[in-house]
Amino acid sequence: MAPKPGSFSTSIPYEEKKLKIVGTEPADRPDAVDKVTGRARYAADYNLPGQLIGKVLRSPHAHARVLSIDTAAAEAVPGVKAVVTRDDFPDMAVEHAASGELMINFKDVTRNMMAREKVFYDGHPVAAVAAVSESAAKKALKLIKVEYEVLPHVIDVEAAMQSDAPILHEDQFTKGVDPTPEKPSNIATRIESKLGDIEAGFDQADLVIEREFRTKPVHQGYIEPQASIANYTDGGQVEVWTSTQGHFVFRAQIAKLLQLDMSKITVTAAELGGGFGGKNNVYLEPLAVVLSRKSRRPVKMVMTRDEVFRATGPTSGTHTKVKIGVTKDGRITAGQAELNYQSGAFAGSSVPMAAITVFTRYDIENVLVVGHDVTCNRPKVAAYRAPGAPMIAFGVESVLDELAEGVGMDPVSFRLKNAAREGTQTHYGPKLGPIGFVETLESAQAHPHMQEKLGPNQGRGVATGFWFTLGKETSATLNVGEDGTVNVIMGTVDVTGGGRSALAMVVAEELGIPTEKVRVKSGDTTALGFNFMTAGSRGTAAGSMATVKASRDAIQKACEVAARIWEVETEEVVWEDGHARPASTNVGDFEPLSLADLARRAGALGGTIAGHAELDVAMGGPGFGTHIVDVEVDRQTGAVKVLRYTLVQDAGKAVYPKFIEGQFQGGAVQGIGMALNEEYIYSEKGTLENPGFLDYRVPVASDVPFINTEIVEVPNPMHPYGIRGIGEVPIIPPIAALSNAIYHATGVRLRDHPLSPPKVLAALDEAAPAIAAE
Amino acid sequence: MTSVRFVFGGKVVALDGIDPNMTVLSWLRTKVNKIGTKEGCAEGDCGACTVVLGELTQESGRERIRYRAVNACILFVAALDGKQLIVVEDLRQADGALHPVQQAMVDLHGSQCGFCTPGFVMSLFAMYRSEGQPDRARVNDVIAGNLCRCTGYRPIVDAAMAAYDGGRADQFSRRERQTVELLKSIARTETETLALEGAGRRYFAPVTEDALADLVKAHPEATLVAGGTDVGIWVTKHHQDLETVIHVGGVRDMDFVREVDGSMEIGAATTYTDAVHAIAGQYPDFGELIRRIGSVQIRNAGTIGGNVANGSPIGDSMPGLIALGATLVLRLGKQKRVLPLDQFYPGYRQTALKPGEYLSAIRVPLSQPGRHFHTYKISKRFDQDISAVCGAYCLDIAGGQVTRARVAYGGMAATPARAPQCEGALTGLAWTEDAVPVAMRALAQDFAPMDDMRATARYRLAVAQNLLQRLYLDIEGGAPTVLAPEASGQGMGA
Repeated sequence: MAPKPGSFSTSIPYEEKKLKIVGTEPADRPDAVDKVTGRARYAADYNLPGQLIGKVLRSPHAHARVLSIDTAAAEAVPGVKAVVTRDDFPDMAVEHAASGELMINFKDVTRNMMAREKVFYDGHPVAAVAAVSESAAKKALKLIKVEYEVLPHVIDVEAAMQSDAPILHEDQFTKGVDPTPEKPSNIATRIESKLGDIEAGFDQADLVIEREFRTKPVHQGYIEPQASIANYTDGGQVEVWTSTQGHFVFRAQIAKLLQLDMSKITVTAAELGGGFGGKNNVYLEPLAVVLSRKSRRPVKMVMTRDEVFRATGPTSGTHTKVKIGVTKDGRITAGQAELNYQSGAFAGSSVPMAAITVFTRYDIENVLVVGHDVTCNRPKVAAYRAPGAPMIAFGVESVLDELAEGVGMDPVSFRLKNAAREGTQTHYGPKLGPIGFVETLESAQAHPHMQEKLGPNQGRGVATGFWFTLGKETSATLNVGEDGTVNVIMGTVDVTGGGRSALAMVVAEELGIPTEKVRVKSGDTTALGFNFMTAGSRGTAAGSMATVKASRDAIQKACEVAARIWEVETEEVVWEDGHARPASTNVGDFEPLSLADLARRAGALGGTIAGHAELDVAMGGPGFGTHIVDVEVDRQTGAVKVLRYTLVQDAGKAVYPKFIEGQFQGGAVQGIGMALNEEYIYSEKGTLENPGFLDYRVPVASDVPFINTEIVEVPNPMHPYGIRGIGEVPIIPPIAALSNAIYHATGVRLRDHPLSPPKVLAALDEAAPAIAAE
Repeated sequence: MTSVRFVFGGKVVALDGIDPNMTVLSWLRTKVNKIGTKEGCAEGDCGACTVVLGELTQESGRERIRYRAVNACILFVAALDGKQLIVVEDLRQADGALHPVQQAMVDLHGSQCGFCTPGFVMSLFAMYRSEGQPDRARVNDVIAGNLCRCTGYRPIVDAAMAAYDGGRADQFSRRERQTVELLKSIARTETETLALEGAGRRYFAPVTEDALADLVKAHPEATLVAGGTDVGIWVTKHHQDLETVIHVGGVRDMDFVREVDGSMEIGAATTYTDAVHAIAGQYPDFGELIRRIGSVQIRNAGTIGGNVANGSPIGDSMPGLIALGATLVLRLGKQKRVLPLDQFYPGYRQTALKPGEYLSAIRVPLSQPGRHFHTYKISKRFDQDISAVCGAYCLDIAGGQVTRARVAYGGMAATPARAPQCEGALTGLAWTEDAVPVAMRALAQDFAPMDDMRATARYRLAVAQNLLQRLYLDIEGGAPTVLAPEASGQGMGA
C-alpha cells in the first residue's frame, strides 16, 4: 500500500520547559537597522552591469481574442534588444501544483504571464520588451501592433455564474457535478462538505436566519511593487533576484514554464517589501529570463503601481449565503453556507480554503457548505492573508450577531456557548486538537474594552476568526563558526521583518547562547533543500521546527567533540546552558566546555559543528482570535470612525511578543481597510478604474485607532515550543466586527461590502427616509 | 544660468544638461545609486520616496535652514535648484550612531517589511528638525502621506513621539553654519533665470515676477508649474511629454501672504504650508480644510495658486475661496486685471486665462463680525484623499436673520461652483432649524452631480444637503470663528 500523504511528515511534541530567550525581546533586530538607514536591498535595488530594462505591453481589453501581434516596428527601435510574445514560450499541459495556499495549473500560469489565444482582463500581458533604457522600451511598446477581436466580458461573480454569461474558457466544464455538464461554464468547480443532517438540524432550531452577502475584490497593497532581475548566462546558468515569498517554488515554476533543469537556476529572494500572499505567484520572472536569454544581457523589470493593481493578485470578489439555526437557549443546531468566489481569469480561487473555515470556530452537528470557483474577466486572484476567510466570516459572524440578539444573549456569551474546543468534529474532516478559542473569548469578555461607555451613534461589534498553521517542506542549515557564533540559513522568506530574529531566538534557546551570537539569513535556492512558499502562517512555526532540528544536530556534534576531548563516549556528555558537561560524576571531573571552546577545537576533532534539516513539517496547531470594535457613525455623511479596537488571539507560544503584536495590529488594520474603503472599481468596459493609491484607499494613520492586543498562549501540541501560526487570523474578523458595530450604532445591517460612506448613508436613508429623499 | 545647483552630501552639486522632466527619485536611484529612497507609486500617494529639502530662511534675524519633506517621485530635479537635498542615507551620524528618529523606529518596532521605512524616517526627520514634542494628532498629520501596510501604524506613531529628545543634537545642527554658507553660494540673483534645455525640452525658473511675466508672454504654450504635485503625475504616470515648462515655485516676490485693502493677498507661488497659518487665523475652518489637502509632502510643494489655476473640479481650496468672495489678480506682461474667482472657470478644466496670462495672486476678504464661514471635505478617508464633495458656506447673520449667503461646492459639477438657489433661499431667512430643510430643498435645484468611482450622484447630493444640517449645528454650537490658539502665533506674517 502506498504511504498516505503526511506519513513521513515531522512534528516534535510540545516540551514544557523553562525558557530564557523565547518569549522575550531580542537584543537587536539587524534587519531593522538596515531598513531605517536605507541599506536593506529589495529586488528593485539590484543592478547588474550591462543590464537592460524590461517592460510589458498589457491588454486594454477585458476579454478579446488575440488575432495577431506584429513586433517588427518595435524591434527596429534603437536600443531595443529583445521583444517576446506568446511565441517565445512553450505551451503547457494541464498540471496542478500548490503555490502557497492556492492551487495553480501550469496551463493557466503560462497564459497568465503571457496571453496566448485570448486576453482575459485589463492588464493581461501580451508582449514584453527589453531595451537599453526605459524610454526606448516604452517607445517600443507603443509600436507593437496587436490585433484584437473584442469579446463580451463579465466582471461580477453572480453575472459570471448565469447560464447566458460570456464564457471565458470554452473547454471549462464544471467539475464536482455529476454528471459533468456538456455545456462550458464559468463555474470551474463545485465543492461540497457535509456533517450530520442539515434538514434535521434546522428542524431542531427555534430561530433560523438566512442572509446574503457580497464583497468586492481587494488588493494586498504591499508597498513594494513586484520587481525581478534575471541573468541568463552564455553558459546556460540562470540567476534571478526577485520579490517573492517563496524562491524555491519560483525556481520550480520557472523551470517548468521554460523547460529548464532546476539545477541551472538560482533564485535569490531579495528583502521583501510586503507580500501578504500576493507574492506567491510568478509574473515577471519568466519574462525577464526569456528576455535575458534572447538579448544575452541581464534584464531588470519593475512593475508600476498601475501594473500591480491591474495584473497581480487581488482577492476574490464574493457572493455568499449563510443560514444558521439556533434553539431558544442559544445552541446552534445547523449551519449552511454557499460560497461563490471569483477566481479571476483562470480557475483556482481561495474557495476550497474558505469553505473549510466557514463554521470551524463553532461546535455544530449539522453543516452543509457548498462552494463555487468562478472565472471572470479580472486578474487571476492571489492569496491575501487567510485567503477567502474574511469574506465568509463577514456572513457567518453577521448572522450569528443577529441570532444572539434574537435569543437575547450577548454576542460573546453566545459564541462561548457554541465555541469549538478540543475534540470538536469539524465539517471538513478532522477533530480539533487543543485550541485556544474559548480562552480568546473569555479574555475578550473580561477585557476593559467591554466596559467602555458608548455614546449616541456609537456601537460595539464582536467577531471571530480561525486559520491553519501550514507545515510543508522546510529546510535549514546551521553552521557554528570557529569563534562559536552561529549562522543559520533558512529557506523561507522573512515576510514580516522580525522573522529572522524569531528564528535566531529559538536557535539561541536551543544552543544556550545569546541571540546576538546567532545570525539568520535566507539562502538562495542552491543553498538548501526545497522550501515551500512562505505562506499559511508557517514562517516561524514551520521554520523553527527546522531550526530546532538543525540545532539539535549541532548539539549532538558538539557533544561528540567534547567526548573526544574528554575521551569518553558521546552518550556520556550532555548539553546544558550552552555548555557540554559530563552526564554524571561517574563520567569524570571535567570543566564544562562552551560552544566557543568546542568550535575552536572542532576542526581537528571531526570538522565543523553544524546541523541541518530537510523536513516535511506536519500541519497543525490552528490559531483562533476574537476581535472587539467600537465605531461611531456620522449620519450626515455615512462615514464610520473606528473608536477602539481590541484583538485577542492564541499564539500558542509567542517567541517574540512585540513582533507578534505587530502582526496582530497590521493584520487588523488591513482588515479595517478592507472593510471600510478598499474595493476594485470597474468601468462598463471592464477596465479597472482605480489602479492607484489615489483612488484605491488603504488606511493612513489617522484612519485607525491604536489596536490593543492580547496574546493568549495555548501550546500547539505538535511543536516543541508550542508555536502556532499567527499572521493570518487577524485579518479575518474585521469586516464582520465592523458591520456588527455599525448595526449596534445605527440599527442598520450592511451586507454589501465595502462599508463605505455611500453604502452606509444609503442604508441609513433606506431605513429612515431622510429629508434628502423628499 | 544653465546648471541646476543644490547641496547634497555636504557639497554643491551642479548638473548640466539635465532632462527637465527627470524626477529627483529617478536621479537618485539611477544616476547616483542612492537606492535607499524607494518608489512605491510614482504619483505622490505612498510617501516611500520622501526626501527632505533644506531651504534658507530667516529666523529671529538669523539665517537658518528650514527642513521640509517632499515626494521625490513627482519632484523635478530642476526644482532642487538653490536647495539642500537630504536622503535617508544621510541621516546616520558621523560616529555611526543612528539618528534619533532611526533609533526610535528600530527600538519601537516601527519597521516590519521596511519598504516604506525610509519614507517614514524622512517625514519624521523633517518634523524632528522643525517642531517640538508632537502629540499623536500631529504625528498622524505628519505621516498622513506615508502608507505602511505592515504595522497598522501604532509602532510608528510611538516611535515618532519617542524620537523627540528636546535637543535636535544631530549632525545637521552641527553643520548648519557650513550648509547656510553653501546655500548662500548657490542662491541665484534676481536676473539669473535658470534655463535648461535637454532631451528636446525646455525649462525656465525665473526669480522675479517681472521675469516670469516676460517668459509667460513669450512662451504662451508653456506649462506653468508651481509645486508640480499634479503636473509631476502627468509625466510620471500619464507619460506626457512637457516641452516647455516655466517653474513658478522659485519666484520670490510671488511667495507671500499680506494684507491689502481689507483683504488677505496670497502670492500664487505660496505653498499651502506657508499660507495655512494666515488663512486659519482668519477662517479656522479653512485652515483645517487645508490641513487635509493631500499630505504634508504635497502641501510643502503644492500651492493654492496652482490648485486654483489648474482648475480641477475637485480642487479643495476653491469652494472655500468662492464662498468667501475671493478675487484673482491675473497678469499678462505688465497688465494686471482682477477677476472674481466664481467667474474664472468657464467649463471643465478651463480657465479665463488668456494666452500669455497667468495667476499672480489671490485676494480673500478678511473676516468680520457676524460672518460665519465653514467648509467641509467629504472623502472616503479623512486624510490624504480626493473629495467626493467639498462644501463651503459663508453666512452673514444679523439679528437672527441671514443677510447674505454664499454657498459653493466642489465635486458637484464640472467646475467648482456656487449654489444660487440655495443662496437665494437662505438670504433673508430667519436662522433657525427650519431654515435647514428650505436650504436643502433649494440645493437640489442647483446641481445635477455625476456618478463616478469616488461617489454616486445620489450620495453626492445627499451629502451636500446633509452638510447644511452640519452647518447649522456648527454655527449654533459656536464652532470657533475666531483665531484658533495654535494658529494665532503665526498671524499673517509674510
